[in-house]
Amino acid sequence: MSAAGRSNPEYVVARVRARRGRLYGDEQYRKLVRMGPSEIARFIEESGYEAEINALGSRHSGVDLIEYALNRNLAKQFDAILDWSEGRLYDLIARYLRKFDAWNVKTVIRGVYTDTDADDIEVDLIRAGEFDDRRIRRLLEADSIDAIVEVLEDTIYGDPLREAYAEYEETGVLVPLENAVDMAFYERLLSGLGGDAPTRQYRRFLEAEVDFRNATNALRLARSGADLDPAEYFIEGGTLLTRDTLARLARSVDELVEHIGESEYADDLGPALRDLEESDSLIEFEHAADTALLAYGDRLGVVHPVSVTPVISYILAKEREVENIRAIARGTEAGLSADEIESELVIT
Amino acid sequence: MLELTHELGNVVLTGAFTDPLAAAALATGLAALGAGYAEGGIGAAAVGAMAEDEDLFVNGLILTVLPETLVILALVVVFIAQSA
Repeated sequence: MSAAGRSNPEYVVARVRARRGRLYGDEQYRKLVRMGPSEIARFIEESGYEAEINALGSRHSGVDLIEYALNRNLAKQFDAILDWSEGRLYDLIARYLRKFDAWNVKTVIRGVYTDTDADDIEVDLIRAGEFDDRRIRRLLEADSIDAIVEVLEDTIYGDPLREAYAEYEETGVLVPLENAVDMAFYERLLSGLGGDAPTRQYRRFLEAEVDFRNATNALRLARSGADLDPAEYFIEGGTLLTRDTLARLARSVDELVEHIGESEYADDLGPALRDLEESDSLIEFEHAADTALLAYGDRLGVVHPVSVTPVISYILAKEREVENIRAIARGTEAGLSADEIESELVIT
Repeated sequence: MLELTHELGNVVLTGAFTDPLAAAALATGLAALGAGYAEGGIGAAAVGAMAEDEDLFVNGLILTVLPETLVILALVVVFIAQSA
């Protein structure tokens, strides 16, 4: 409910564990990849997404219906978790869930930039973060980027956006604004994190996430050969790369791969790195990074059973489920074969 | 509860811990305190589990009162002290 009072991990963990048991497993995914969009919609309606499918069924259909239902269910579940948590637990969970606020802000900015209808923007929002309905409504009502910046004045995104807005006015591209939002989120993610054992474990997970994000960005930059300053995209807080090493390594893929190969992530990412040297596709690497994070998330849930970590572990698993179902639905729509879709899924 | 605290204060102040019954009473009280603390956490978790699945009511109830055995065992001390 709020960051005040004693934290209550027992209650939240019990509820979250029960919900985790209801997530889809191998068996269900195998069934899902062989279904068409309407069958998938029916399948998920019967297994936990009933309210969302019913609420959205009259307005949307096909893959859109599945996608919006998934987003809405995700938002509902994560909102509930924030609602149950109190004290320090709330703070730790909110840190991670703020990434949906960042996502929403970026979506609204892009929407306004491309003159999209407020209704169309609204369905793409994931209301899982800390912003309440009022702020989201005010964001949707904003008709210029300046107005959006104003709505966010009193949030953590206020100052960085204000600074980036000047740059945006000069250049007319969205990159500075989106960067500012991401930076504000990551800055808050790791700052002032306390020191007991579960929190330290949580911190290592967050650092791994930042590292993988940095590595993927760097690989993309190195591969594309574009003349962008890699330091601009650097996210503070990880252990794998520093601003300087990134700037140096982003010029050559081989050196970067070697650097990652020598790091603590070598065991998790090793096979993917070898693939990367042979083939030209980054997808394998991004997949391996996702799988490594998910595996770490699973481990996260069992070492300290009554703490924040099982909750985070559930949040990750749920996110992954939503992404998997979305991949299946989009894949079937695009006419991919079951095997191809299955290779896109991240299952541990 | 208040009278008990008062009594406990008296016992400690007058150094009456040589009285086995007083010591036994203190032991029982401390055991009850521990049981209460343990039940707090278990109760919260049990209610959380029940909120997700109502079938867990019986299991939750059993697990919640399990630390109560601590108090029962501590009560044995009183009888031992009485007969001594």
